[in-house]
Amino acid sequence: MEQNIIEKLINELTKLPGIGRKTAQRLAFFILTMSEEDAKGISKAISEVKEKARFCNECFNITENEVCDICSNTVRDRSKLCVVEEPCNILVIERSKCFNGLYHVLLGALSPIDGMTPEKLKIKELIRRVEKNSLQEIIIATNPNTKGEMTAQYIRDILKPYNIKVTRIAYGLPIGGDIEFADEVTLGKAIEGRREI
Amino acid sequence: MLHRTEGVVLRTFPFGEADLIVTYITPDLGILKLFAKSPRKIKSRFGSSLEPLTHSRIAFWGKENTPLPRLTQSDIIHSFQSVRNTLSRFLAVSEMLELTINFIPERDANKKSYFLLLNTLKAIEDNSLDNSSVIPLENENLFVSHFKIKFLKFAGFSPKLDACGRCGKNGNNFYISHGSILCETCARGIDYPIRISPAALKLYIDLLTWDISKIRRIKPSNMLLSELSNIINMHIKYILSKPLRCRDFFSFHVNDLTN
Ligand SMILES: [Zn+2]
Ligand SMILES: [Zn+2]
Repeated sequence: MEQNIIEKLINELTKLPGIGRKTAQRLAFFILTMSEEDAKGISKAISEVKEKARFCNECFNITENEVCDICSNTVRDRSKLCVVEEPCNILVIERSKCFNGLYHVLLGALSPIDGMTPEKLKIKELIRRVEKNSLQEIIIATNPNTKGEMTAQYIRDILKPYNIKVTRIAYGLPIGGDIEFADEVTLGKAIEGRREI
Repeated sequence: MLHRTEGVVLRTFPFGEADLIVTYITPDLGILKLFAKSPRKIKSRFGSSLEPLTHSRIAFWGKENTPLPRLTQSDIIHSFQSVRNTLSRFLAVSEMLELTINFIPERDANKKSYFLLLNTLKAIEDNSLDNSSVIPLENENLFVSHFKIKFLKFAGFSPKLDACGRCGKNGNNFYISHGSILCETCARGIDYPIRISPAALKLYIDLLTWDISKIRRIKPSNMLLSELSNIINMHIKYILSKPLRCRDFFSFHVNDLTN
């Protein structure tokens, strides 16, 4: 039996993260009341992003060109490379305005149990960039969890022969939190990473 | 209904925006998968308690037979941070985690396997903290081999290595497809035996019978240990009809990336 068109829309919307059936229903009925122009705008933006979005040839950021805006920006510091797991991590680091170098997206993190081995990540491409360019520092900004940490250690080891400075973003307590509520591992890491003031 | 138990985190799987599905092994419920709301947010109250290997006291909410009850509380008993914060060590223990996920049924008490895992993690941690350790880092494989052999026994999948699996006569050819040694007579017509040395057999029996607290006294050569683990790994691969995913990591060489 064919699905009713509104049913179909609800089903499609539930495929989005964080959207349960109820929310999908609400959204679907809202879309029904929208102007045709607005509704088409959404569907056009979705198909455009799927048609045009691709990975940057250099850093694997999302872009619609061969090379992304960051890689092609001549003002940026080309001696520093910040390694992240996912393209969306670039957005938040950019928002911090604390980094002006280039990026390298791994498109994942190592996880032996999930079969995520080094060749499934853009590690080979990272080595190529280190070989080709005169970089001074690689900053590893993978997630502060076991997968991210294993990935950081793996990259550190594999870059050893290149004699390049490799740094890891600091572990610390979230700003605005109370020490009282930090768990032992987070607090231990924060004490390890203390600095003189 | 609210349930309480303890468990060791085997694996986490990102779900939705900031949620996780956490796979535990517990003494009273075997493998237990729980849904954790927002632990990936930096200020989450779960903190680091859902990282792999964490031994914690947990509480979860859900009706009987809910496929994915909701984790409401997790308090770290022991983090095993020193085991998981070194790549080589974490790689070694990942095999134990994967084996556990593959063999232990969901929601079925399994105290033996649970405490085997917990005690092995403790032994590996003690060994890594002990500077005078007789077992160098790379030989943590001995603990892992001990785990695999005991684990297969508890799961009822031990390979038969001491005598012919059909007639009980002596033999030293192991047949993967039979999970057993077969003597010359019984092996007629069966191909591809793997020869097992008397020393490897002795190591197997020691690991099978000795308690983990005494394992450090066994000092096998790397060659001997790899002979035995090779057989065990092939046996596991045959039972599961697939290799453990972690094995990809071991068969992978850095040269594959740099060449
Ligand atoms: Zn780029
Ligand atoms: Zn026989």
